[in-house]
Amino acid sequence: MSVALEAGVAIYVAMAVALAVWIGIFVYLWRLDAQASALKRELEREQSEDPVERAPAPRATVTRVRPASSEPGEG
Amino acid sequence: MVQRLARLGKLLIGLWLAGVAIAMFLVVPQYEGLGNAGRIVIMHVPTAWVAVVAFTVSAIFSARYLWRRRPQDDDYALAAAESGFLFTTLATVTGMIFSQVVWGVYWNWDPRQTSIFVLLLIYAALFALRAAIDEPQRRRQLSAVYSLFAFVTMPFLVFVAPRIADSTLHPNCAFIQGSQCDGLTLEVGKIGLLGDRKVQLLALERNGDVVTAQVKVSEPGLTAERVLSPSFDLVHEEMVARPEFPGLRYQLGLEAVDLEANSALLNIEAPGTGLLENRRTLFTFLAAIIGFTALFFWMLSVRATLLGVQWALAQRAGGRL
Repeated sequence: MSVALEAGVAIYVAMAVALAVWIGIFVYLWRLDAQASALKRELEREQSEDPVERAPAPRATVTRVRPASSEPGEG
Repeated sequence: MVQRLARLGKLLIGLWLAGVAIAMFLVVPQYEGLGNAGRIVIMHVPTAWVAVVAFTVSAIFSARYLWRRRPQDDDYALAAAESGFLFTTLATVTGMIFSQVVWGVYWNWDPRQTSIFVLLLIYAALFALRAAIDEPQRRRQLSAVYSLFAFVTMPFLVFVAPRIADSTLHPNCAFIQGSQCDGLTLEVGKIGLLGDRKVQLLALERNGDVVTAQVKVSEPGLTAERVLSPSFDLVHEEMVARPEFPGLRYQLGLEAVDLEANSALLNIEAPGTGLLENRRTLFTFLAAIIGFTALFFWMLSVRATLLGVQWALAQRAGGRL
């Protein structure tokens, strides 16, 4: 039998595994939190610096569907 | 200043739950009849509790979204539902491990297992619904309404359904302080059901102050039968012998005897009964509940921020196309 599974040792092994899993989850969550917050701040900063983003003006595109020469009154 | 406090709080959650993990193994004493395997309850119950909190938070934000139509509320509702699903899965998995230790199988469609499975399906359907609708506003609106309906089923599936079922082996009697299983009153010769075991009271024999019952216990599916002899002290009104069910770590208890009516109150006695009367276990248990609840709120905040960023990026990309 492995030393890690012996009666007196197994509980410490189980505890070490549980702690390792928790530390892994904690580090992952911490980094994810930092990255998400940094992204959010960056987006907010860009939005406040970009005058168009800050006050978006209505935009429109005009498309002529007929050539100017064929307009009524010209032909 | 606020950011510093938030960082400190997150660090505290890390240390707190690390402390709970250590206490779970080194501070909490072994459970009577279960040994070290019973320690999983320190994980199992708090994760189930946090799932309930998460689904409640999801419903609150869904209602807020329907009222104010703010996309942020939808982000929080979704993040809470996802966390609730995750914690429910954790509670189910830890419960399955416990089930394997105590009942010898991971899954036996016990009412508690079935109801939690249905709850998982209901919330899985919420995510499927969201994935199926492309138009954001319609997706938010429909999922908020669905989330409120899903929330209505949650208290029934978590708290009511498993308790109205007569045959459950979920150890409510052992681990929830103040709760009790009613047991089964049988006259001599009569048959009844305790958990998934058929029991028949064959005889009651008095020897001085102690009454011993002869109880025939059948395996599920009536594959095998065995006679157990639990006993009861009439003077001190307490159980004496509590034999274990064949193949289980649950015991058969004789909780009361009425010799005039020739009947007895039989019950399943789960190992670890009176568990929370132990201070070290109680405090570790409470610490785990506090730690997991704090962890949920941190996860909620991170996930909702990510959803907000994702939405802002999608909007920006769409605006420049």
